Amino acid sequence: MTHKTTPKHEPHHGTMASYIVGFILSLVFTLIPYYLITHKSFGRNELLATILGFAGLQMVVQLFFFLHLGREKKPHANAQFLLGTVGIIFVVIGGSIWIMNNLHYNMAGMQVMDKVASDEALYEVNGKQTGTCSAGTGTNYKVTITNNMATPNQINAHLCDTITFMNYDSTTYDIGFGTAQNPKLYAGESDMTAYGNHNNPLRLTELGTHTFYDTKENKLTGSFTVAK
Amino acid sequence: METKHRLEAEEAAYDDRVGFGFWVYLMTDLLMFSVLFATFSVLRDNTAGGPTGSELFKLPGVLTETLILLTSSFTAGLGMLAARRGSKSQVLTWFGLTFALGIAFLFFELKEFAEIIHEGYSWHSNAALSSFFVLVGTHGAHILSGLLWMGTTLVFVWKRGLDSNLVRKLSLLSLFWHFLDIVWIFIFTVVYLMAFV
Repeated sequence: MTHKTTPKHEPHHGTMASYIVGFILSLVFTLIPYYLITHKSFGRNELLATILGFAGLQMVVQLFFFLHLGREKKPHANAQFLLGTVGIIFVVIGGSIWIMNNLHYNMAGMQVMDKVASDEALYEVNGKQTGTCSAGTGTNYKVTITNNMATPNQINAHLCDTITFMNYDSTTYDIGFGTAQNPKLYAGESDMTAYGNHNNPLRLTELGTHTFYDTKENKLTGSFTVAK
Repeated sequence: METKHRLEAEEAAYDDRVGFGFWVYLMTDLLMFSVLFATFSVLRDNTAGGPTGSELFKLPGVLTETLILLTSSFTAGLGMLAARRGSKSQVLTWFGLTFALGIAFLFFELKEFAEIIHEGYSWHSNAALSSFFVLVGTHGAHILSGLLWMGTTLVFVWKRGLDSNLVRKLSLLSLFWHFLDIVWIFIFTVVYLMAFV
């Protein structure tokens, strides 16, 4: 054994000063993200990126000041091992989130499908229009329902306009499209529910002239024309 | 003199081997935690109609836990400095303080669990809470085992005094303790803070 060793074995430990600096930094890097979260300082994505950034800084502080990483003798086996581990962690966590988000996206129910359609700005899905009009656009036409009568019962509108059925009756009506003898679909829907004492919006996403009727008593009837 | 140097060098080489072996253990433990983090990240919104994290968690309590654990990491570091100086009484003081802070941390964590259960939710409620309890509970179990390890080592230090064997044990223990601190930082950020984004 002719290995040269330093007479006094002084591996990687800290000093009082380095522990104090590390401690203060770790407190700062905890309190800042806590403050940002409790005060909702920025938008969602910025906030997310910032607090994860502080967690990363915090980790570096802990590794450097408390675990004395990188201050060991060469060949820095511990640091290399950590680097490899961090690589695997990114694959495991990043991969899981990525795959499961896709799974969620592709196997979701109706509600999420609508969101998917609107996210991807699909105008049609399976030949049916999806109702993708950007929010807040178009004119709003008001149809008042009193005593099972709609006024006005004829509306000329354009694509992406809205008809709001203001139902002043306490009864909830099931408003079907087409006629009682010949029910039809409007934008893929056979009917809409007009809740009693509520405003019930219908987004006009399909062109043409359409009729509607009350599926129970067939008293409330009307029509609307949707032009380009 | 020559023999003394040779013995010191051998002991240092042994310390390095043991240290590296323990580091490998810590990294595998980190991989286990990363799988639990991945599970939690995927399931965090699957509350099955139950309350979300922001309705269930109380941030001031979590901040208290975090500050306690950070401080305990600091006192463990000071204990380690005392161990290298060979000061038995300071080792007992600083690690004793670390031990007490560890107990306090566990107390606050169990209190939080008890409050969630008292509100009528548990790991049975939904996938989000299952993954929450497994992730945070696994960290808590590590803290508990760290405390048992610390307690027995301190009894040995107290009875036998500081020998090189015990200093090595203390250095591995403090490594373990700082490591748990890092894992907690990510629990604090990913589980608690991100619930309020």
